[in-house]
Amino acid sequence: MQIILNGESHLLEGDISLLALLETLEVEKKHTALMLNGAVIPATNWNEYTLKENDEVEMMVFVGGG
Amino acid sequence: MNDTLTLKGETLQSRLLIGTGKFANIETMIAAVKASGTDLVTVALRRFNKAQAEDDLYGPLAQLEKVRLMPNTSGAMNAKEAIRAAMLGRELSKSRFIKLEIHPNPHHLLPDPIETYEAAVELAKQDFLILPYIPADPVLAKRLEDIGCAAVMPLGAAIGTGKGLSTAEMIRIIIRDAKVPVIVDAGLRAPSEAAHALEMGCEAVLVNSAIAAADNPEAMAAAFKTGVESGRAAWKAGLMPTSEAAVASSPLTSFLSRDD
Repeated sequence: MQIILNGESHLLEGDISLLALLETLEVEKKHTALMLNGAVIPATNWNEYTLKENDEVEMMVFVGGG
Repeated sequence: MNDTLTLKGETLQSRLLIGTGKFANIETMIAAVKASGTDLVTVALRRFNKAQAEDDLYGPLAQLEKVRLMPNTSGAMNAKEAIRAAMLGRELSKSRFIKLEIHPNPHHLLPDPIETYEAAVELAKQDFLILPYIPADPVLAKRLEDIGCAAVMPLGAAIGTGKGLSTAEMIRIIIRDAKVPVIVDAGLRAPSEAAHALEMGCEAVLVNSAIAAADNPEAMAAAFKTGVESGRAAWKAGLMPTSEAAVASSPLTSFLSRDD
């Protein structure tokens, strides 16, 4: 299954949740905000959503800015 | 003496807000934030990039106990994108503070007042504590105050230019009419300019480039801290009125000259 992760094509095997995706990528969960198909998904809901073909996921972190 | 700044119920001890961009490295940024005495810093959002995982500021900033994070909406080209950025930022910051900035033109980075207003209307409904970065426009400032922004942040000069308080006359008008704090954001270069802003009655300043691009950011942050404190103290002390004609400060009675 293919999703779009941060603007790039990303292949997934099997049905996995948003939470599982982050764990697979070894992302620091507490430091990450997620957007799915243009909607912000609170961390408490990450485990409830199973990714589908062509879903667009954006993973955002804080960086320096004025 | 307790002279705190309150923004919609949130109290800040320092009137110096710091941006975290453009620093050579995280250690320098943290040292500058500490030296500034600030308790509110801005951060930006960016896509996670595993190759640049060290850019993630969440961890380093979380170690600064009294410092709160204010995400900005930098990168947003319009109201819709800014609202989305604000929602994402709130997920991470766990705070209501949002620096609303929409500047679609990379050449001058001047704020889009229409998109900024539209975004502020929506964010106010969602209980954000909004600090909008705006042109030094008294009418816009008033409109943003009316819809519930916590402060207004007129620019002193374009972002990163270091041209100081080039909008001082307009900022004076904004201050005269504003019922929310006025915070100068962008353009400052020297601590004396921060002092000037506070002397005029600005409640705070937001500084990034002037500190990050200084030869010694930590020392410059300390200098801005002093500048802000001095300017605030001067404003509270009440500056003397100006006069077109000279007013002597020594007696002018002529006793040295003799008519004989």
